[in-house]
Amino acid sequence: MARTRTTKTVAQRIDLNYFKRPTTFKRVRLFLVILAPLLAIGWLAWQAFVHDPHVYSSGRMSGAHAVLEKQCSECHVNKTGEFSAKAADNACLSCHDGPMHHESQVRADVPACATCHVEHRGHVNIIASSNISCSECHSHLKVSAGNTLYATNIRTLEDGHPEIAALRKDFKDPGTILLNHSIHMKPIRHSPNGPVVQMECADCHRPEAVKASWPYADANYVDAKVSYDTKEVLLPVKTGTLQPRHAMGRAYMAPVKFSTSCAACHLLTFDKRFDIGVPHDKPEVVHAFVLKKFQEYIAGHPADVRVVRDPPRDLTGKPLQPEVRVLTAAQWVAERTADAEELLWRKTCKQCHALNTMKGASLPHVLEANLTERWMPHARFDHDAHRGFSCVGCHPGALASKDTSDVLVPPLANCKTCHAPGPDHAESRCFECHTYHDWSKRKEVKPMYLFPGLQAGGK
Amino acid sequence: MRIDRSQRAWAMGSAALLAISAVAYAIYASASATGPHGGSFMGLVFGIVGFAFMIFAALLGARKRVPTWRVGRAKAWMRGHLWLGLLSLPMILFHGGFHFGGALTRVLMWLTIITVASGVYGAVLQNYVPRMMTNDVPLETIYDEIGNVRKALRMEADQAVESVCGRLGLVREIDEGQRAGGFTALRPIAASAVPLRTSAGVSAGASAVAMAPEIVLLTEEESRPLRIFYFSEVRAFLEAPAWQWQCLGHPERARKAFAAVRQLMPPVAHPALDDLLDICDEARQLMRQERLHRWLHGWLLVHIPVSLALILLGAIHAVMALRY
Repeated sequence: MARTRTTKTVAQRIDLNYFKRPTTFKRVRLFLVILAPLLAIGWLAWQAFVHDPHVYSSGRMSGAHAVLEKQCSECHVNKTGEFSAKAADNACLSCHDGPMHHESQVRADVPACATCHVEHRGHVNIIASSNISCSECHSHLKVSAGNTLYATNIRTLEDGHPEIAALRKDFKDPGTILLNHSIHMKPIRHSPNGPVVQMECADCHRPEAVKASWPYADANYVDAKVSYDTKEVLLPVKTGTLQPRHAMGRAYMAPVKFSTSCAACHLLTFDKRFDIGVPHDKPEVVHAFVLKKFQEYIAGHPADVRVVRDPPRDLTGKPLQPEVRVLTAAQWVAERTADAEELLWRKTCKQCHALNTMKGASLPHVLEANLTERWMPHARFDHDAHRGFSCVGCHPGALASKDTSDVLVPPLANCKTCHAPGPDHAESRCFECHTYHDWSKRKEVKPMYLFPGLQAGGK
Repeated sequence: MRIDRSQRAWAMGSAALLAISAVAYAIYASASATGPHGGSFMGLVFGIVGFAFMIFAALLGARKRVPTWRVGRAKAWMRGHLWLGLLSLPMILFHGGFHFGGALTRVLMWLTIITVASGVYGAVLQNYVPRMMTNDVPLETIYDEIGNVRKALRMEADQAVESVCGRLGLVREIDEGQRAGGFTALRPIAASAVPLRTSAGVSAGASAVAMAPEIVLLTEEESRPLRIFYFSEVRAFLEAPAWQWQCLGHPERARKAFAAVRQLMPPVAHPALDDLLDICDEARQLMRQERLHRWLHGWLLVHIPVSLALILLGAIHAVMALRY
């Protein structure tokens, strides 16, 4: 009774036409094979039906251009009824001005906007162009005429980038204000009779936008009007310098002012009869102020025209008889003014300023301060972005510097400790510090979009 | 197709091509001012190569539909399908610079990943499942005929039980087809007491089997345990086999169940019980075969439709990108 399988008996169970019969698996497979392409075509057909060409977009737009996400033809300007594959420069320039990089730039090397500002890469910073965009020219820099003053083989920050210009050999701070940083960074007497204080860098150096009170300011000087313009004390920014696009009130340190940083300690007193000091102003203004003060004084104190001058002591130590003179008011004012100005020009002012006295001139000439506002005219730096670091961490030279001519800008190596390639470092691409377009030459563009219109697909 | 040493040349060639492409991509990506993207020269080269690999892989389907085509050996086509299809993914990733891009390219990228991943999954299964099939299903039959074979097993089981218990009153299932030996009716294997093959039987087909004389060995009372066991367990299992809730779905539990029934039945019924046990074992193997077959071929339900959609959308993408 046992079941015995033979090839014959096994074969007899099989329908020889079994492969012609449709099975569930075959039916499902056929259904899906038809369905999947139909769905694909249907999807594209629907996109065409609703006139949404952005299905063919190569990626999301940057945040700055997100509003143009579905307006392909705004950048891919129509050419004979078809989209052009490349975004045309004139499409970019209809909204943005793109000033020339440099006067001596070789015209043939000027790239198209989209060469550096690559779109359709998602919500990325479109300003963040690659190093290669810059090094295509700067790795073998050529200029349209003459020789270039700049390094000609810069590839990246790590490869070929020269030291900061202000730190190169033989460069000195052109400023004429005599300042000993070293003394000011140590405990120092506040004023001739004041307490000893420890100054901080931020007591004198702050960005324009910082509104905190100044510990070493004098309200009389802060509120006073001066006859000189602040720009007169600053060195002009070199021509050809690429200006950053946006001025940020916290990016750069404001020029140090006497009224906010020095006046509390460096008193400009000129005579024991007066509590106030002379204005921090030009010698002519100072002279006029002193003269006026003495004239007002003698008018109120006519008895003071009798001058008793303390005699010098003789060798025995016995005081000699005082010399008594009776002057006219004008003589008294002239003598007191001369004494006061002798003190000012020879000591008080000269402590910080370089003064020239021309032959025959009654008043000295104060040399221009020549303060450098931008130490890196071809780069931008944001102190605010680095506010987490102590000042002397980057400017250690300030602790030991005794001469004005010392340049205290940190070397490039300092920057490179953080700004380096790789995920563990800060951005080190060119655009982080440099700008391509010279925004000092920007031209205003005429607005061409109405916001609701653009949202609706029109202009 | 098994991935074994015979495919070493393809594997080495593919690895070499991938390495060359990767180096070329690295150079191109580091030298490109705008970063790698599909519209650049190198991006287009990678795109064209990747799409060509996809087209070649897709042509395997056409090659299978027309096996008489004299365009290379089927084995070579299959190997090309495997390795070039696999290479198409890195080529397309190089093409897009590892960016998924916009709506269409994003869909294309995912379709490529799904197609390649399902293909790899299928290739891995092809390596292991046939071996498992050989081990676990020695009585393997043609997958499409499992339904018919199961029907034959039911007929055979019915006959085995009827040979000791008498008529069960079951309606015979008639299934016509062209079978080996010139038969049209479904024929079970059983070397039962019923003479199956007579000239009259052959000419009469199924009806001859149904009308064959019955041999009743047991009384109603003696055959009761077998009848109850047959209808409650064996027939139910043969009609709708399942692992989970039927005791006959597990070899050990089945053996124990049959041993219990065997004790209740006289020795004369034991050969019929042996046949039933053997039939259940074969039905269990068919069940296993069905499951393995679904593993072995189920991935194709994803792989083929997705790859067709990929080819179609890829062609549209190529036209749109090159034109505009």
